[in-house]
Amino acid sequence: MPRLRPSLFWQARREISPLAAQLLPACRDLESAANELRWIREHVQDTPSSVPPGLRVWNLVEKRGKGVPLQYVLGTQPFGNLEIQCRPGVLIPRPETEAYTLHLATLLSQSQHPPPHSLSILDLCTGTGCIPLLLLHALHASLPPTTALNIHGIDISPAAISLARANHHQHNPLPAPASPPLSPSHQRTLTFHQTSIFSPTLLSSLLPTLFPRSSSGLDLDLLVSNPPYISASDFARATARAVRNHEPRLALRYAARWGWCRPEDVFYARLLEIAAVLKPKRVLMEVGGMEQALRVVRMVGRFSSLLGGDGDGDGDGDGS
Amino acid sequence: MGVPELCAIPEARRYRLTACLQLQFPFILVLTFGPETTSPIKLPPALLERARKLTVEHDQLTTALQSDFDAKKAKRAGEISRIADALKQFEKAKSALSELQGLLESDDAEMRELARDDLEATNTQLADSSHNLSVALTPKHPFADMPCLLEIRPGPGGTEGRFFADTVFHMYKAYCANKGYRTRVVQYESSDSDGQTGSEGEIALQEAVLEVQEPGAYGLFRGEAGMHRVQRVPATEKSGRTHTSAVAVWVLPSFPENPTSESESDWDNPESDFYIDPTEVRSETMRARGAGGQHVNKTESAIRLTHIPTGTTVAIQESRSQQRNREYAWRLLRSRIAQQRREAREEVSRQLRSSVLANSQITRGDKIRTYQYQQDRCTDHRSGLDAHNLPDVLKGGETLGKVMESVQAWLVNKDIQALIADEEAAAAPKKESK
Ligand SMILES: C[S@@+](CC[C@H](N)C(=O)[O-])C[C@H]1O[C@@H](n2cnc3c(N)ncnc32)[C@H](O)[C@@H]1O
Repeated sequence: MPRLRPSLFWQARREISPLAAQLLPACRDLESAANELRWIREHVQDTPSSVPPGLRVWNLVEKRGKGVPLQYVLGTQPFGNLEIQCRPGVLIPRPETEAYTLHLATLLSQSQHPPPHSLSILDLCTGTGCIPLLLLHALHASLPPTTALNIHGIDISPAAISLARANHHQHNPLPAPASPPLSPSHQRTLTFHQTSIFSPTLLSSLLPTLFPRSSSGLDLDLLVSNPPYISASDFARATARAVRNHEPRLALRYAARWGWCRPEDVFYARLLEIAAVLKPKRVLMEVGGMEQALRVVRMVGRFSSLLGGDGDGDGDGDGS
Repeated sequence: MGVPELCAIPEARRYRLTACLQLQFPFILVLTFGPETTSPIKLPPALLERARKLTVEHDQLTTALQSDFDAKKAKRAGEISRIADALKQFEKAKSALSELQGLLESDDAEMRELARDDLEATNTQLADSSHNLSVALTPKHPFADMPCLLEIRPGPGGTEGRFFADTVFHMYKAYCANKGYRTRVVQYESSDSDGQTGSEGEIALQEAVLEVQEPGAYGLFRGEAGMHRVQRVPATEKSGRTHTSAVAVWVLPSFPENPTSESESDWDNPESDFYIDPTEVRSETMRARGAGGQHVNKTESAIRLTHIPTGTTVAIQESRSQQRNREYAWRLLRSRIAQQRREAREEVSRQLRSSVLANSQITRGDKIRTYQYQQDRCTDHRSGLDAHNLPDVLKGGETLGKVMESVQAWLVNKDIQALIADEEAAAAPKKESK
């Protein structure tokens, strides 16, 4: 990372505030430093405390200036209309994830006519629980009360699961007081489970208890996942320092080999395997870039006979 | 509101994925598996996607209208019903075709025979319905629903052009009368020509302005704008030689006296200056160059909105919340567009008022139509239609209607080509910068 010009610090000090100069090493430019300082002040104003506000601002700025992600410093990240709680040890939700989650919610609430009797969703590698929580909120608001929602989130990390549960507790959409209580068949539930998606019992015992069977697999409308996807070399070269130093490695990369594919693609192989058994109506996976997207598409060839098509399983699907 | 953009991964076909889409950014794979086959339709996916969205909206509106009537909703539903119908026809033809294709692979020879017989008709149906769909999707000209002003002026070169200008004026006036359109003569000025009249008894016209007060007249007449050429023997021509002269026709929207409302309160009202069709806005989450997603951890989530038809963009990074930035960006975009619309209206009115149009502009324009008296022909050079029965054309009869319709079809096709080119350009994957 290039060194910042001393004149920039001087400029931040003079044009914004000495606090902005302190934020510069983390923020890298004046505009971000000014924005973040404003957000820190707003946060202090909005959260009452017995500590004097000036001191709190100073403490937060110091922490942020040392490179701690702002979301850990303030404890939250906006995600759709939710304020998702963030804690060290659990990956901070990204704006890209937010954008497609909102898009998904729109698609799910508009694509079916008449509205379905129920919608079931599985989020693997759920982290803070941001994806299923936002889906729950958006669908709760847009679907008629006759549609039940059965949503589950799974993560290996105990820290993630307990934070996801805390987020769910804080953002539990309650039925509007005026509307009649939902009948048991029209419930809207979100549940988090701590387990590895590689666990051998996942497919044989856990998932079948969460979703009813369908003719071909399980009755699942959407399988969504934002799994760790960074390769070892990209982790060293292409990640931002705040990510490398402060966010959990477990959430970003997977180092072991698994069968025939590259380590950074291992999760997709497993996800496709899971999809081949469950046969969900839709699958959405975040990937790290076009190259990875193409490798995953080729991987689908290997599973295509299982996934419902009568694919010939082209032999050149091997990405390694 | 703003929908992330999807691009299809062509390679997916080989692996029997029915839909494999990637958001340009962030990188997401959307995989759909299943039996649906793809057929070779030229409609770009973005266009179909838009049609599907509007159809969903249409169906929702109709359902809502069944339980309680709302004039605004009814209007919107009416506007997009064309698209919904066209899409349904299109999908029907498509599924019929894929069914036939399945039969073509049947083991039963008789089945295959039957399928082959139906194939051509179904293919035609598919082609027709995809054409209809693209027509329905082609955005209407922004002034299409307005009344219009027809301005008629002779081209340079003698009284013959002036006489014919009068003929053209009466042609349109009669046409409107035949069709039952209300008109008003705003201006009808003859030049000093010593009381001479043309071969058909016309006066030497200097300028005429005819207002066609029918809503939608602009859409009907906009294809008439341009140079109209006449070839005939003038009354004054003793040697019987055919002269060629020209008349310029201008078609302008006629704005109502009181401008539409100026308040932000009616964002949902398509009549309002503040109304923006959400399908015409591209929304992007801005990011610095390089990797995104898990690789970086930005605190800013700036939103950029682009109003595609006008190219207007706004970018906001006021709040930490992407959603709030987006709401604010929409607010700003609406006011900017409203402002532009007002300015555009004022500009058109200004042009309208300065009725002196440069002669050079008239002579440089390509001829759009020729009226050939000797051969009793009226030829439109854009649609290529060659109509006989010139007298009926000049009387504003059905033959003129046919010529005008052929031009309408030509205009629509031109718009479709432009639309498809635009959508394809927008859907082409952006180059990654290293
Ligand atoms: C990139 S984060 C995504 C978090 C969240 N879905 C989001 O979008 O913000 C990946 C998550 O996968 C979890 N994870 C890693 N290995 C796992 C495994 N074997 N089984 C289940 N979850 C795992 C990590 O704990 C982390 O929370």
